[in-house]
Amino acid sequence: MVNPSLLIGLPLAFAFSIPLFGLVSKRIGKYIPIVTLLINVVISFMLIPQILKNPIVVSIGGWSPPFCINLVVGPLGIFLATLISGIGFLVSIYAVSYIKEEPTEKYHILFLLLMVGAIGIVLTGDIFNLFVFFEILCISSYALVAYYKDKEGTEAAMKYLIQGSVGSSFILIGVALLYGFFGTLNMADIASRITSANPTYLFVTLAFLITGFGIEAAIFPLNAWLPDAHSSAPSSISAILSGIAIKTGVYGVARMVYTMFNANSILLFIAFLGLLTLLIGEMCAFRQDDIKRLLAYSSIGQIGLITFALGIATSLGVFASLFQIVSHTLAKALLFLAAGYMIYRVGSKSIASLSGLGKKMPLTSFAFTIGSFSLIGLPPFAGFVSKLSIVYAAIQVKKPIFLAFIAIALIATIIEAGYFFKIVQNLYFKKGKNLDKITETSGYILIPIIILAILIIAIGVHPQFITGLLKESAKELLERAGYVGWVLGGT
Amino acid sequence: MNLIYNWMYYISSGGLILIGMYIVLVKTNLIKIIIGLHFIDTGINILLICIGYVKGRTAPIFSTSGINPTNVVDPVPQALVLTAIVIGVAVLALALSIAIKVYEHNKTLNVSKIKRLKW
Repeated sequence: MVNPSLLIGLPLAFAFSIPLFGLVSKRIGKYIPIVTLLINVVISFMLIPQILKNPIVVSIGGWSPPFCINLVVGPLGIFLATLISGIGFLVSIYAVSYIKEEPTEKYHILFLLLMVGAIGIVLTGDIFNLFVFFEILCISSYALVAYYKDKEGTEAAMKYLIQGSVGSSFILIGVALLYGFFGTLNMADIASRITSANPTYLFVTLAFLITGFGIEAAIFPLNAWLPDAHSSAPSSISAILSGIAIKTGVYGVARMVYTMFNANSILLFIAFLGLLTLLIGEMCAFRQDDIKRLLAYSSIGQIGLITFALGIATSLGVFASLFQIVSHTLAKALLFLAAGYMIYRVGSKSIASLSGLGKKMPLTSFAFTIGSFSLIGLPPFAGFVSKLSIVYAAIQVKKPIFLAFIAIALIATIIEAGYFFKIVQNLYFKKGKNLDKITETSGYILIPIIILAILIIAIGVHPQFITGLLKESAKELLERAGYVGWVLGGT
Repeated sequence: MNLIYNWMYYISSGGLILIGMYIVLVKTNLIKIIIGLHFIDTGINILLICIGYVKGRTAPIFSTSGINPTNVVDPVPQALVLTAIVIGVAVLALALSIAIKVYEHNKTLNVSKIKRLKW
């Protein structure tokens, strides 16, 4: 049996060994993230069948839960860990030739630390550990946003840092309040005793925690940092931030609301916030002319859709929300990677300057088209299946309010289609200027783009690849007694 | 008076958090905002410590004679605070170094004048 703590331990160990390898040769450093995350992907694929049968609880220090720090590797944890390692692996291939500006060593260290944070968040079973991993993720992403040290990057990083650290402070206040009442930090232990607390006290605690995680997830009133940070970061980092970092915020909200607090009464409010986020994000995206800013706003919109589906709170709704996480992660990573290289070739971020690239960079443009069609929700791409399940889940609840909600969500999808079609039209049907010297993307850059495009089509054509795992994950969120039972045993 | 005496630590931690929030929301100088963030951090650390505090008990150092589990305070929040302090210092250092870069690019620390990025 492979120990799941390797998923966190390996990237952490390799991150700090990069300078050591640098003593041997400067060029080894950039290949280390690829190797590490490849091992991570292999380990997590080996663990999946085991965990579907029997979730693994790793206790550290020889104590039994709830007295120790522990990792709870259930279906949801391993599904998100696989997704994170997979996307991280692809993006690290991209970064080998995309990141040229020195100090590249530091980039790769911070990148691996970001991975450690993200994987740690989804695997840990201890709420203070969750906070620590969250801070690892946040600090490394603040630094990576400012990686180029240019005017926009530093400004965006500063905004992200201020809002992000207020958010993490809120999470820590929530943790302190929870410890003050329950005297334990184990999430399963808190979950099993949550009914003993005063509802007002719990409400205040939950409000702190949701606000904290909501800032990282960029749920509507808390989303001001996202468009700046995602559009000013290097494109590989934008792909990771949009694909992974904001999903960990959503995971935090889901874990708190479903598993720990069992707060069914606020789910409608969360669905409403999600819908608001969706509308605001899509409407802002529609009027952008900077392509990375457009993609960043579209991420806000998609997060809204995921949160909305999470708020439906039936097993199908949560399933659809997780499916949307997969399809958005794949599509948005692909879009940022492809757009990043187009910007690199053209030298400008404006959408108008991308005109006519369809003939000059056929593979990249085609992959970009696949990604955007998947986000809109056209068949046969992954986005179609996930959006269809969201619509189906909302109709199946049989409440008029959700019918109204899903109607608004579909209107937002039309807005989304509007701007993505505009870009695709620009790529293929408009004549560009000064395109003579532009050539197709080369070597390493093309590999992750093509793999992502193939994955989107494969999941769209044959969703059964992942539905089994996703159903189990949705079950983990909805059946709290099961989660508590794994950790504390038999209660 | 008794109320303040009993809840002094909670009140001071809440006060520090609120002062920090006020600074972050109202001040326009970047350095002051960063100081405000640190105020929030300090407030939370005091909150954590006073959650674990039991009146009249001492520090849980078991190598000293006469110390047993019945006369010490809860050690877990103190461990948490140590971690939180380290994280706070890291964030503070990163914030100040980014602030230096922001100043180099914009020649000002007034956040209402740094507005290259907006909706």
